[in-house]
Formats: sequence, C-alpha cells, structure tokens
Amino acid sequence: MPVVESTTRRTGGSTPHRAPGRATRPRRRQTSGLPWLLSLPALLLLAGILGYPLVRMVELSFQNMRLRELISGRPAPWVGLDNYTKVLSDTDFWAVVWRTVAFTVVAVIFTVVVGLGIALLMRRVARGVRLFMIVAMMFVWAMPQLVAAQAFRWITDSDFGVVNYVIDKLPGVDYQNHSWFVNPWQGWSVITTLVVWAGIPFIAITLNAGLTQVPKELVEAATVDGASPWQTLRSITLPILKPLLIIVTTLSVIWDFGLFTQNWVLRDGHPEPQYQTLATYSYTQAFGQSRYSLGSAISVITVLLMLGVMAFYIRQMFKIGEVD
Amino acid sequence: MVATTPGAPAVRTRSRRRVDEGVITVGRSRAATIAANTTGIVFSILMLFPIYWVLNTAFKPADEVLALTPTFWPKHPTFDNFLSAVKAPLFLQDMLNGLIITLLAVAGSLVVGFLAALAIARFKFYGRRGIILVILAVQLVPFIALLIPLFLMLQSVSLTNSLIGVSITYLVLILPYTVWTLRGFISGIPRELDEAALIDGCSRGQVFWRIILPLTGPGLVATSVFGFIQAWNEFIIINTLNSPEKQNLMAWLLQNQTTRGTAWGPLMAGAIITSIPVVIFFLIIQRNIATGLTAGAVKG
Amino acid sequence: MKRKIVAAAAIAATLLGAAACGSNDDNSPTTSASGAVDGKGKTLKVWLMVDAQSSWKGVVDDASKRFTDATGAQVNVEYQQWANHLTKLDATLAGSDVPDVIELGNTEFPKYVFSQAFAAINPADYENSGTWLQGLKGACDFEGQTYCVPYYAGARVLIYRTDLFKKAGIAAAPKSYDEFLSDADKLQTAQKSDAKFGAVYMPGQYWYAAMSWVKASGGDIAKQDGDKWVGQLSQPSSIAGLQKWVDMVKKYSKADPTKNENDQAGIFAQGEAGMFYGNAWEQGAAEQVKKDPNDPNSPLVDTKVKGKLAAAPMPDVPSFLGGSNLGIPAKSQNKQLAAQWIKAFTDSTSMAGLVKANALPNSTSLLDKAATDNPAIAPAALAAKSSWFTPNAEKWADVEKGNILQTMLTDVLTGKKSVADGAKWADDQMNTTLND
Repeated sequence: MPVVESTTRRTGGSTPHRAPGRATRPRRRQTSGLPWLLSLPALLLLAGILGYPLVRMVELSFQNMRLRELISGRPAPWVGLDNYTKVLSDTDFWAVVWRTVAFTVVAVIFTVVVGLGIALLMRRVARGVRLFMIVAMMFVWAMPQLVAAQAFRWITDSDFGVVNYVIDKLPGVDYQNHSWFVNPWQGWSVITTLVVWAGIPFIAITLNAGLTQVPKELVEAATVDGASPWQTLRSITLPILKPLLIIVTTLSVIWDFGLFTQNWVLRDGHPEPQYQTLATYSYTQAFGQSRYSLGSAISVITVLLMLGVMAFYIRQMFKIGEVD
Repeated sequence: MVATTPGAPAVRTRSRRRVDEGVITVGRSRAATIAANTTGIVFSILMLFPIYWVLNTAFKPADEVLALTPTFWPKHPTFDNFLSAVKAPLFLQDMLNGLIITLLAVAGSLVVGFLAALAIARFKFYGRRGIILVILAVQLVPFIALLIPLFLMLQSVSLTNSLIGVSITYLVLILPYTVWTLRGFISGIPRELDEAALIDGCSRGQVFWRIILPLTGPGLVATSVFGFIQAWNEFIIINTLNSPEKQNLMAWLLQNQTTRGTAWGPLMAGAIITSIPVVIFFLIIQRNIATGLTAGAVKG
Repeated sequence: MKRKIVAAAAIAATLLGAAACGSNDDNSPTTSASGAVDGKGKTLKVWLMVDAQSSWKGVVDDASKRFTDATGAQVNVEYQQWANHLTKLDATLAGSDVPDVIELGNTEFPKYVFSQAFAAINPADYENSGTWLQGLKGACDFEGQTYCVPYYAGARVLIYRTDLFKKAGIAAAPKSYDEFLSDADKLQTAQKSDAKFGAVYMPGQYWYAAMSWVKASGGDIAKQDGDKWVGQLSQPSSIAGLQKWVDMVKKYSKADPTKNENDQAGIFAQGEAGMFYGNAWEQGAAEQVKKDPNDPNSPLVDTKVKGKLAAAPMPDVPSFLGGSNLGIPAKSQNKQLAAQWIKAFTDSTSMAGLVKANALPNSTSLLDKAATDNPAIAPAALAAKSSWFTPNAEKWADVEKGNILQTMLTDVLTGKKSVADGAKWADDQMNTTLND
C-alpha cells in the first residue's frame, strides 16, 4: 500500500520545495562506492535466494528431471526444447492459459470498477457510514488469503453451506445439496467472488485516499457551471486518479494472473482440469506428477506471458523511482 | 536547522486533512444521500458476512456446526472450538515458530532493505537504475516455481526443516517490497534537511541517525507491518521446506483436515486466532500512517 | 523389456553409487532384520500417518518401547497429514537427512519403489510374511525383490441404518446386488416425505467405490501389455460396471458429485441417508464423534444415528483393499535399526493392537482371528478376502494425484459426458500418464 501511498502524494501535486539542483549535485558525485556498499547485502541476498533458484528453474526446464533423478541426485538429462514443445502443443495447457486470462480480465474489471464505485460512494456518505465501510473493508483486507478461502469453502459447502440454505429459502428454488463446483461457470463465480471480495478493500481505500486529493473547489465549480456528476467524474476526477488507477489495475492483473490459493483451497487441494490456472497447473505437474522440468517450463512460460504487464508495471514504478 | 526548511510533509498533511473533511455536498438531493448511505451500509454488511459466518461457526458447538439447517446465531455459544484449536497438537508450537520466523524475517529485511533504500533514494550512482529494475522485477517472480531449486539449495547447506532457512527465504520474499517502500519514505524527506545539517557541521553518519532515521520512523512501522503480514500469511513455501513441528500457523490451518473430514468448528476458531495478529497490525498501521506523518513533520 | 533393462542398470548404478559414497551400511542388497543390532546413542526417525496417532498411538509406543529395550536406540515418531504429504516426502527424499522408516499408502508405494527410493528388505525376517495380504504386498514388489512391509489394511463394507431397514420392512442386510437395489427402493419409498433423504450416500468422486463396481462386472482399470500400460475402462465389461454404479448413484444418492468420501461418515450421521459404503471404522465415526476433534483422548459424543447402524459386506462387489506399508528409504543411515523397528511394529502383538483399534491386520492368517476378536471389523475382514488392488504401475500414483478417475466420475454423473465417453477419456489420460 505505501507503494501507492507515495504515488498518492505525488498525484496530490505537492511539490517539495527543492533547492536549485546545484546544491545537491556535487555531493552526489563524490559518493561512488558507498551506495554500492549499502546495496550489497540486499543484492547478495536476492542473488542467492532468488537469483540462483531462478537460474536453476530455467535450467531445469531444458532437462528432464523426474522423481528418480530428484531422489538419487544424479544429474537430469538435457532434453533441449522438449518440455517447451510438449507444453506448447498440449491443448490442455492452452485451455489453462485462456482460462487464466479470462479469469484475470473478469476479476480485475469487477474489482477495479466496484472498488472505484465504493471509493466514490465513500465521498458521499455520512461520516459514520464511511467509518463503518472502512472498518468492514479493513477486516476483509486483513483476512489472510488462506483463511478467506477456507471460509468461502465452508460457506459454499453443498451439505452444510449457508449459501445453499439461504438460496433454498427463495420461493420455487431448490438449492438443497446444490454443488457449486459441478458447473464450472458457477464454480468460477464463487472463486471470482472470493477474489473480488478480497481485492475490493485495497482498491477502494487506496482510491479513496486518492480522491481526497481531488480539489473540492474544482468539483464544486464544475457543478455550479452545470456539469453533470458523470461529466465531473470523467473530466475532473478520473484524470486526477489516473496514475493511481493504472497502478492498482496493473497490480491486480499481476496478482489475479497468479491465482493459486483460492482455487486450490476451494477445490480441496486437487483442482479438477476445469479449475486449473497456470499457477496450480505448474504446481500440479511439478509436485503432483513429479514432472519437475515440465512444471518449470510452464513457470517460465507464465513469466514470459506476464512480461508485457510486468514491464509496464516496472516502467510506471521506475518513473516514480527516477523522479524522486 | 529545523527552522531553515519548511517541511513538505507538514504542508501535505494539513492540506489533505482539510480536503478529507470536506465531503462534497453541493447539488445533492436528500434522497440521493439516503440512497448513498443505504448502499454503503448494505455493502459493508455484505463484505462482513463471510467474517461473521466464520465467527458464528467458531462459537457453535460441534452438533450445531454440522447441522443441515444452519443457524445464524450459536444457540449454545461455546469456547470449545478455540480450546480445541489451542490444545491441538502443534498449534502453539507452530504459532511460536510463526512469530520467530516472521520477526527474524522482518527485522533482517528492514536492516538490509533500509541500507539499499538509502542508496537508491539519496545517491545518484552508476548502476542505480539497474538495482531499481532488479528490485521491481524480482517482486513479480512466481515463488512457487522456485520451490524445488530453492529446496535443493537450502538442503545442501542443511537449512531445510529449520526456522533459519525459512526466515532467510521470507526475508528475501519481503525484501524487494521493503526496499521500494522505504525508498519512497526516504525520498519524502526533503533533501534540504540533509544539506542544512551537513552545512551545520553534522557528519554523514549524524545526518543518518538524527534526521533520516527518525523521519522514516513511521515508514519503518508501515513497512514492517506489511512485511509481517506477508511473512505471517505464507504457507506454500514453509509447507514444503519444513515438517509440521517447524511450520507456522497457516500451514497448520492448511493441514488441519483429518482423515475423518474437516473439523470446521476448530478450523474456524484456529483461523480467527491466526488472523488476530494481522488484524491488530492493520489497525496499528492505520493510526500510524496518519499520526506518524504529522508527528514526523512536527519533529522535522 | 527395454524399461526393465534401464531399471536394472539404474539399480546397479545406485548400488555402485552407494558403495562409492562410503555408506556406513553393509552393501548387501537387502536390509536384514535378524540378529541383534546395537543402537545405543542412535535415534530412529519414523514417519507415520496421522491415523496411527489418532487411533492406535498405544501400539506405536509399545512397539517403540520393545524396540528400545532390545537395541538401546531411541525412536522419534513424526505423524504426517495425508494432505500434501507426498510433496514433502519428495522434497525430503531429495536431501540427505531422511527418515529411517516411512509409511505410505499402498497405492502410493509403487512410484517410489520404481524410483529406487526404498531399500530392499528380507520378508522372511517379519512375522506372518508368508501370508501378507496381496493387495498390500503387491505394491512392494519390484524385479523379484521386496521393498516394503505391509502394515495394515482397510476394506470397505456396506453400513446401513437398522431402524430405517425395519421401518421399510427389510429384515436383514442384502445378500445380493439385486437385493441391495430393491432395499434401496424400499427405503426410498418409506422415506419419501423427506425431500433431503437419499437411500444411499455416495459422493461422486469416490473412485474406490466406482472401481469396485467395475471389478464386480469383470472389468479392470488398466493392465500391462508388454512394456506398456493400457487403460481398460472403455472395455465393455468395465463400462457395464461403471454404468451400474452411475445408475445406482443417480437414482439413490443425494451426495455432492464433486465431493470425495472424506467426510461421508459425518454427513451420514445427519440421518439423511439409509446406507453408505465405507471403511469399517467409519461406522464408529458416524455413530460417535470426538467432543474435541483435535484431542486423541477426547470423550465421545453420540450422534443422531448412534446404535442404529450395522455393517455387512457389500454383496457381489469386491472391496478395494486400502492400507499402508512401511519402507526404509535407501538413503537411511540406520537401515538395520529401521528393520528391527518395523519388525516389532508389524509382529503379532502389534497386529492384535491394531485389530482392537478397528484396523485390519497385514496378513490373511490373522483375518479370521481378527473377526472373532473384534466383531466390529468382522464384515470388513470378510470383505478383505475378496478384494482388489490398483494397477501395480510405476506411475499409478500420478493417475490418482492427477484426479483422472475423480474428474471422469463427476463428468459422467453430472451428464457432462456419457459413460462411454468418460471411460474413453479416462483411458486416454491413463495411457498418457502411465506410459509417460
């Protein structure tokens, strides 16, 4: 959140009084070794704990590592691009890719639109109601992913779930023992609801913070001039929120594309093919089927698929890092 | 030295607070306000429902939990589920493990991350862009994919099934985020403060101890809380690296499914206990971000 | 054939490798449990599944005590959860610090035996080894050697509500499959005012049950043809069995087609079903629940169906023989001690303790005695005598973990696929997985 916090402040247009560049420049030049020294521990840790396994993952994807090699410690044979051709020519894999993409699009749109709506709503409600909304969202936000997923699993249980009980009470509806995961559309609605539910607080509270930066005078002036609320939103509020919106949307895309915990827990640790996403698919291949190399190849492809979004995110963040 | 530069944070906070209180009211009908308030309340209730249901389940005795007709209130409220969770094998052990791992990871990541953040925020040097790029990029790597190589590596230095191994892994897990966030807080401190202090005869070390560190205090709190939450909530890595007596509460929750089906009552009670530190920290950070910024400005 | 040569070469390589690394064990291909071993100052690390902790911890402690008295070595038992235990096992076996004894489900063993994770044992060292249940021992056999020791078994039986049977005018447990169906009809009719009631509780992903019906019709899951495995579910006899099961489930079961059998006892205890197909101990689990599910010594609380249940073998349907085996990892540093501990834990004394805890012993010679000693497991002991076991293929565990059969059953039950299409799909998937 504080990542965004700093953006919020920036969008607020508060420019710190910076003395003319000359005063700072000489000091910056003198220090060439010190900053590297300061960064060294962090860089070493990243290289050791993240960098090395990352290289090994790529290496594994060109080998054929199975349980036997894993246990015996014998080097896995090199197989070139075999894993990649196998994955890329597998229709199951592409089904997983499209499912993950479709889920991401739907979940992100819902989360951002509802989140924005709630943020706007928060500007209009009474103080007490706003406080209630913030408290409610704080609790949801604070709920660990795993706990939230288990709660949803319990709520949608076909035998003891309260959702079935409530829907069954509607006249003419029989939801007794209804199973939410027979029909993948229904199952995915549950998963999407969970993800959107858990994602709204971050977006709504962040955007609400951003909205406090929208000058009240500007909005009032526009209203007096006869602008409709929609026009005010489009031509005043949204442009000011835009940098913030871009960041929260990009982050949501990255998070939702990596969906693992929610579908994993709701399907009791063994998602059926229609509930696999790239993350669970890779995990199942690697750990369920002991195809460590194939799983690695899928992970590498996942990262490559995300590269565009990631590059965009990094560029946005980079700008902030450079300017400050 | 303080008086020489008007602290930017002070200005910022003041202006924000003013805007914050000014809820836009021009041109809004009473009906619209009532509709907005109602929507807000309904939304909040819907958001809270799953949490309410977790609480409701946790306080029900076993026969009410597994009832084909669920009740919206425990008829015979009981703490049995909480007692059951706390007394369950390894629950307290895993809670302690989780605390140790998380605190080690957060403390380590703060120290290491602060130094790197200082370098990025306060110095212009060859390779800075590269470091920023690395910090941002590694945040996006799917950690699950790294499990096997990570395991093999830690195993070779005898750090699997140890609290230290997981702590280091979590440290690195939250490090990029820590560096990036602290960088934001450090650059929020006007560079003029450093300059003025240097002119006043402070050494660079003194500038660090007397200006940058106190002023990033709230930032450190916010960062460590988010780091804490991330590390506390992780379960996939620890579930693979460590055996149950060296795991954390999340992994405990994941595994608390006996062969005789899930014991939902104790599970929900355990889930509540597990979530409590996170909720408390969330509340703390809320206050600290707000008051911290003003306090920092006054001090500065 | 080719695979066998490869495997033999791999074994040779392992043995050579072990010798080269100066393993402190002797280099004989099998680990002996005969003779005295001095284990003073050593600690044996044992991984058992959580069932041992919740149901027969006393037997474990007793065996460990006898072992310690004999060898001087200490025992450290860690209880594992079924969920995700293989992932952890893989990671652990990849390292050098491995447990000395590991329990795995019998269907999980072949994959590890084929991957040379376990050391060969000498069956003659263990009590009752001549009459070990084939369904357990089959998972240990590879290239003429035995790589694990049968531990305990479970067979599935028909558990039914005596009060509802009486109400529907049924005098005794069904003796044939047709009788089973007509009893279900009668139950359904007698309870027709209750919309929630289903005569049989049968969750859709209960593949051990579905495959039992396949076996009952003379079908099979997969069989070995030369050096390849071939899925058999789309054979006419298999399809007939599957169809029979599907018809029965659709007509009589209100259970969730996407659930497995894990919590069936708890759901059955709600009183909304007349019969279910479960392990012998599930009758007890349905009649009484632990007041505190996390406490092994918790007092028991009666459920709605307490005293209203009885069990009988499922007529005309052979039972899947589930169970567990114990193996000694090839990388263990204490193989001799491990063998001694397993010997104590699987001897007749320990088996008698397991029988008391409603588990089936590891040997056919003990089954009859078990049935008389503990009437609660008599139907299961009977069912165990006509039982079947999953294909003894290296990759079988991958079929289970890949959810192939579970997915197929849900698809067929919900009408997404016809039985023939589902069976064909499952065969294709199995052919890929088993021969990968």
